[in-house]
Amino acid sequence: MTKRLLSLLLLGWLLLPLHALAHNVIGGVYAIGDQIEGEIGFSNGDMAHEGTLVRISDGNGRELGQVTTDAEGFFVFTATERVEHHFFADLGAGHVVEMVLPLEQLPVTLAGSGSSKPAEPTKNGTTSNAEAVDLQQLQPLIEQAVARQVAPLRKELAAYKEKASLQDVLGGIGYIFGLCGLGIWLRHRQTASGGASSESRDNATGA
Amino acid sequence: MHIVDGALSLPVLAGGAALALGGVAIGLKKMDYDHLPQVGVLSAAFFIASYIHLPLGFSSVHLILNGLIGLALGWAAFPALLVALILQAVFFGFGGFLVLGVNTFNIALPAVLVFYLCRGGIIAASPKVAALWGALGGASAIALTTILVAASLALSGEAFVLAAKATLIAHIPVMLVEGFVTGAAVLLIRQVKPEFLNISEEWDHD
Repeated sequence: MTKRLLSLLLLGWLLLPLHALAHNVIGGVYAIGDQIEGEIGFSNGDMAHEGTLVRISDGNGRELGQVTTDAEGFFVFTATERVEHHFFADLGAGHVVEMVLPLEQLPVTLAGSGSSKPAEPTKNGTTSNAEAVDLQQLQPLIEQAVARQVAPLRKELAAYKEKASLQDVLGGIGYIFGLCGLGIWLRHRQTASGGASSESRDNATGA
Repeated sequence: MHIVDGALSLPVLAGGAALALGGVAIGLKKMDYDHLPQVGVLSAAFFIASYIHLPLGFSSVHLILNGLIGLALGWAAFPALLVALILQAVFFGFGGFLVLGVNTFNIALPAVLVFYLCRGGIIAASPKVAALWGALGGASAIALTTILVAASLALSGEAFVLAAKATLIAHIPVMLVEGFVTGAAVLLIRQVKPEFLNISEEWDHD
């Protein structure tokens, strides 16, 4: 019987499509300058299919654009406005994911609601005009450089958040056993005070 | 098996919640409180099972165990699974709170059905027959859950047949593993702890 089961198992394995098993969908979006890079995949490491549609809208549901993923579940979107970007993807079979890129991660040089004017660099009178222009040009470069450095950290942080730790596992079991204890205690109190009145529960009275 | 928040339409969410609530109510009413620890143990087993991913081929699967839970608990599978699903949502981020009702219903109803279909089989005198019934229960619980998941999605606008077919095929390995595990579990429990399945009184051979 075991042998038969094993061979069936093997058959199932060969038929196995490489996706859509019961897993969480995870993804992340990271801004590098006005380029927003994102990736979508399953929690077991499989990435989204090539050509998965990602819809982008702002916080109020106004559509900003659409992109599709490449073979690695990766996509790039060029932001034109400095608004909150919501990324929504449907991987089929109930696997949906929504990711939000907060406004603060986009460069201040982009136009859009809620954006403050680029910081005025000429505050002290000694700065000459030429220097001011230089700073204006430098700002996007600096933002890009910083974003590029920070992106891997953000990714790592997101992966870390996604990962459940041993504490989570033990905590969950603890809750379940605690609830059981509570149930048993309540039951015990009930039978102790109610006595014979609550004998409706069929047989089994031996604890 | 966990549908995530945002995949289903509002009527489906509400319907699922109502059905799950009904199931939990029946489960609590029918539950034999002397077996509460066993409900807890199986709830904990389900809670962990989804967390442990077994590598299989190029991908990985995780056990769901709703067949085994159904065989052991019957209607009490509803409260047991609800508790475990809440905690999974809190600790692991599986599923979500809005879809909790739908998820509970999709996973617990097959457990109850398996209880009625295969319960007679696992108390059979022959261990082999019992293990086979257990395996059948484990596998069919997954198949039923898959169909219910596809139906939930279909009611929210996805094409049913396509979705059902895709998820059913995708879950064939899970069904096989689950059937194997449930069958083996029934075999083991019958030998070492028959009272866990409440079958000690119903047969006296070994």
